[in-house]
Amino acid sequence: MIHRLLVFCLLLGSISLCAYAIDGNQLLKEVDRKLEPEAYEMYRKFVNIDPEGTKKEFTLYMVKKGQDKIAGVFIAPASEKGRTTLRLDENMWLYVPNVGKPVRITSMQSVIGGVFNNSDIMRLDFSVEYDVEKVEEAGREYLLHLKAKTNNVAYDRLNMWVSKSTKLPSKIECRTNADMLIKTLYYKETKDFGGGIVRPSVIETESPLYKGYKSIMIYAKIQAKTLKDEVFTLTFMPHLESLR
Amino acid sequence: MVGRAGDYDIDLSEIDKKPYSLGGYAEFVPLWGARDKESSLYKLNFYNSPQSDLAQEYNSRLQLEGSLEKGAALLFVRTNSLVAHTNQGWSGATKIYDAYLSLKPSPLLTVTLGKKAPKWGKGYAWNPVAFLDKPKNPDDPELSLEGLVCASADFTRSFVGSLKTVSFTPAIVPVYDHLNDSFGTLNQLNFAAKLYLLLYDTDIDLIALSGGSKSARYGLDFSRNLTANFEVHGEFAYLSNAQRKVLSDDGGTQFLRGNGRSWLLGVRYLSGLNTTYILEYYRNEDGFTPGEMNSYYNLVDQAYQAFLGTGSDSLMNQAIGLASNYTRINPMKDYLYLRLSQSEPLNILYFTAAITTIFNADDQSFNLTPELLYTGVTNLELRLKTSFISGVDHSEFDEKIYDTRLEFRARYYF
Repeated sequence: MIHRLLVFCLLLGSISLCAYAIDGNQLLKEVDRKLEPEAYEMYRKFVNIDPEGTKKEFTLYMVKKGQDKIAGVFIAPASEKGRTTLRLDENMWLYVPNVGKPVRITSMQSVIGGVFNNSDIMRLDFSVEYDVEKVEEAGREYLLHLKAKTNNVAYDRLNMWVSKSTKLPSKIECRTNADMLIKTLYYKETKDFGGGIVRPSVIETESPLYKGYKSIMIYAKIQAKTLKDEVFTLTFMPHLESLR
Repeated sequence: MVGRAGDYDIDLSEIDKKPYSLGGYAEFVPLWGARDKESSLYKLNFYNSPQSDLAQEYNSRLQLEGSLEKGAALLFVRTNSLVAHTNQGWSGATKIYDAYLSLKPSPLLTVTLGKKAPKWGKGYAWNPVAFLDKPKNPDDPELSLEGLVCASADFTRSFVGSLKTVSFTPAIVPVYDHLNDSFGTLNQLNFAAKLYLLLYDTDIDLIALSGGSKSARYGLDFSRNLTANFEVHGEFAYLSNAQRKVLSDDGGTQFLRGNGRSWLLGVRYLSGLNTTYILEYYRNEDGFTPGEMNSYYNLVDQAYQAFLGTGSDSLMNQAIGLASNYTRINPMKDYLYLRLSQSEPLNILYFTAAITTIFNADDQSFNLTPELLYTGVTNLELRLKTSFISGVDHSEFDEKIYDTRLEFRARYYF
């Protein structure tokens, strides 16, 4: 009888441990794959809204491959058309058609102005840039505490709320090392993009640094795409739109 | 068809790709300048037609860009038309900046035939290794430039490891009457090549030009982020047996030949306050010394006095004959460029304030250019720019035509 009781207790303990010993880094990888395929193309519209309600919109065509390659070309408005961004690991470049050659840029700059910076626009997988320090239970969600792997990442820390059932984020707080809030991203409007991609189609952003301003990111036509590595080179930047 | 997303929509017709595109910009640029009537450039330009102290210019520019894409082929044309009204009256010109056919059977290979500006080099204000490009204006380095007719190709391969990318770009540049005839000696076929490497997260270009139109020249440039917000770049050019036209001791002109070197070292830094600093040092060993420039300015002074005294412009014609060399952009040896640009000061979106200086280290003259840029209205760019100069008599910037200049630019993209 005592033997049976011991086995039962051990079994119960194991089950409890399994429930709470969530592998945060593995969960973050799941979040990454839920958000986007490893290699894809998509359209993104960025909308900056000022306190008076005036909007400024930018539309990009973007491609990504693997863990370190992402590129995008502005297709609207006319003043930005043809501007191309490329990120290879920590290297970022901007190609401006009038200037005619790529120049290096940094993750903290913003090619569109406003709350979104280059790091938001050319974001790699979260699991590439961040380690999960801690996972907390938060009702129907997990709260992941993320810490940047290097100093070259735009935000030192992220607090990410992830649905337990869908493994999709609902909110991300971007913070400094001193825990100062830089911006908050709200993931909304989950949509079926086809090809098994079901994810939020809108990200709303607010920042205490831009009081009264709001920025929206809208996703469209996300689909897996086979891409050659040579697409992600300086030489190909002026030709990126030909992939559309 | 509209893809609805809460309060925000993506109009899918907006992202549907068409095989053709037409766009560009129209701009209006009024300019007011306080003329320095004692300056060499004023005397060279207006010795026989005196002007008022205040110059007024009204420049209107139209840049049109059109493309047609079918399969792997792309036809691209860019024209630039300028109509100007100055104290001297109306003038205008249209130039074809680019007109080329590009064939891209795969991302590994692109072949281009036609007129195009290669824009080689990593420098912001100067590009010593841009052997195929027209010199850009450091006062406005982001302006588009007229290209040259050439045949070129890009072969690109990507790798895993410390060497991430290799691109090889050979180019053939024909120089004949009415075909790239401002490039150099006529009736020559020139060959240029660029090898690009992304090695240890550093952009590296090795560049060469040979042929009869210009002396052979070789170049190297690089660019690298030392930290996420600190970039360093540089260029080095070696010109073999280069020729330059100078004023001789007896007042005539002579051609000097020799090997020349020019190089540039620069940094770009983004501070925590979102201020961008661009600092570049440019050394051109082929440039004029202060003594050589002083001799030329003396010649202009003498020619002007001779014209006023006798009405003869023979000496002035001699000075004008040398002007393309002595009054070219930054003709001396050592320059510093510094630009401070503050994005969104006081958190005002789409607003940029900048101040730029170009300092001639040989004669200690400089210009100072504050500017304000606003891009808050979609497709409209408003820029207010003023410029001041400082320098002793017969220094480069003191001999410029304007002491002070105010320029407003309204540019609308379509």
